[in-house]
Amino acid sequence: MRAVTGGRAAALALAALLAAPARAAADDLRPSGKGAAEGGAIWVGPRPAAPPRRVVVLAPSLTDVVVAMGLADRLAGVTRLDDAPEVARLPRVGGFLDPSPEAVLALSPDLVLWVTDGGALAAVRRIASLSRASSRPFPILAIPIVNVADVVATPRVVGDALLDRAAGERLSRALAADVEDVRRRAAGLARRRALFVVGHEPLVVAGPGSFPDELLRICAAENVVRGDRPWPVYPVEKAVADDPDVVVDAAPREPAERIRRLSAVRAVREGRVLRLRNDDLIRPGPRMIRGLAELLRGLHPEAGR
Amino acid sequence: MIASRRARLAIALAAGAVAVALAVAASAALGAQPISLSAALAGREPDAAILFSLRLPRALLAALVGCALAAAGTALQALLRNPLAEPFVLGVSGGAALGGSLVLVAAAGASRLAGAAGELLGSAPPVAAGAVAGAALSTVLVFGLGRIGGRLVPEAALLVGIVFNAFVAGVITLVKMLVPPEQASRLLYWLVGAVGYESPGTLAASAVLVTLAVAALVALSARLNLLTLGDEEAASLGLDVRRARAWIFFAASAATGAAVALAGMVGFVGLIVPHLVRRVVGPDHRLLVPASALFGAAFLVLADALARLAFLPLGTEPPVGAVTAFLGGPFFLWLLRRTARPEEAR
Repeated sequence: MRAVTGGRAAALALAALLAAPARAAADDLRPSGKGAAEGGAIWVGPRPAAPPRRVVVLAPSLTDVVVAMGLADRLAGVTRLDDAPEVARLPRVGGFLDPSPEAVLALSPDLVLWVTDGGALAAVRRIASLSRASSRPFPILAIPIVNVADVVATPRVVGDALLDRAAGERLSRALAADVEDVRRRAAGLARRRALFVVGHEPLVVAGPGSFPDELLRICAAENVVRGDRPWPVYPVEKAVADDPDVVVDAAPREPAERIRRLSAVRAVREGRVLRLRNDDLIRPGPRMIRGLAELLRGLHPEAGR
Repeated sequence: MIASRRARLAIALAAGAVAVALAVAASAALGAQPISLSAALAGREPDAAILFSLRLPRALLAALVGCALAAAGTALQALLRNPLAEPFVLGVSGGAALGGSLVLVAAAGASRLAGAAGELLGSAPPVAAGAVAGAALSTVLVFGLGRIGGRLVPEAALLVGIVFNAFVAGVITLVKMLVPPEQASRLLYWLVGAVGYESPGTLAASAVLVTLAVAALVALSARLNLLTLGDEEAASLGLDVRRARAWIFFAASAATGAAVALAGMVGFVGLIVPHLVRRVVGPDHRLLVPASALFGAAFLVLADALARLAFLPLGTEPPVGAVTAFLGGPFFLWLLRRTARPEEAR
């Protein structure tokens, strides 16, 4: 009995010891509720005085931003999901949801870039507390990217962080112009009702609050999915009853014929399926904006070029 | 006596058939999308597509899986002479899942080397064969390691099954790391136990396999009665114990393997259904096996309808395995407490 009590006391003490630095960091990383476009990015640790040269990026969409700004040579580490050719040879520091604090620390970064995301919050808090305790603390920039305006604003935020404001400004303007161009071409087109499929088994679709929901709206289309979940597992019979004009098959790594499982949906039976060639549209960075024009062409062939 | 058994069998089968019919009717009538039966029968869309392309095939799939699992559960309980035996608890479903997953991983690897061969290997029949083989191997393992001093000890076999399940879960987690992420998430969903939508061809082939396996168990049910007396007793009554047991092993594994290939690890069906049916028809396996098979079908059809409907306000649906585990976990514990008191056992 005493052994058990002693063990529990030791465990509690250990937990308190481990929790103390984590709690201090927790407050710093608490989401502000504002997106990047509204100045919601959060700095943890001292802002860099000199241009950072060993940047570790914890989200593929941010890697794309840095690469598109022409600053790929500043990168020291990326996630295992990164597939841009410019970073093919860089060390990997885990995934988007499970970055490895050890791998990040081992690269002795001078800046860590992160897209605010609940899945990795605990790991990033650990990275922040390790940074604070180390002899060479490095800053972490947490960027909330939840809509297209945030995607457009992000290069500006990253440019600020990398002390290359001009490059960030240039990219943000270019992305904004691309979005504006798609909006202009979409204006006046008849709206099409679309179902955006990201997983076949089970059927997972883009709902309100997801990026594709907004992208469809920009491209003169309307998401048939209602409710309050961004990525619901969707009952197939609801998809049948929704009777969309077009089904967007955004699961490019699944075999194309798998969409036939949805053949109870009229649009699938009648071949009104837009199969995307890649997952650009769910990578909230330059790729998403680039994919927008293709989405518009696919949804509205009549819009031409 | 014989006439009375025949009469009771007829009543049990009729009641089971009615239960299946009612369950299928309820499952066809209820869903995320309100439909009109008359519109569906008149061929009007989308009602017809929802009824005939989605709800009825799905109810049929659930019925096949429930039937196979309940029959296999009944047979395993007789073999182990313990009401806690069940394909999921004993690790037989786990073995089937491992067998099926290994075939899927091999298919993923093969498609990188030779595309067409990989596609072929990843199709339903090889995966089902892998599941049946996995189920058979794990049955042999559990019943082999459950022997102490040459005697089958039910508690030991159950423990082996539980440990084997944990082992399988670990191996499948490792396997998941080896396949592409989108395939891994599908694997995960399948493992929880999900009744989905299969092609008519797959449904027909599985119907044949499940019918054969369950028919074999029904044919072997008189021998199950003898085996519940104990090996020596059964042998002294003229039963070739080893041979009878081997056949039952194989039929129960085939039924479980087919069920797992179709719907993943749906747990506890083989525990809940035979137990409730036994309370009504008694311990005679000649009644128990066919009646459990039918009521198992009805049970899983209803459980799947519940899974489809329960989370409707949230606009999503959980896999049916979550529902059966939610019901089956407490049921298992209740059964365990009950059988722990020897004077009330069974």
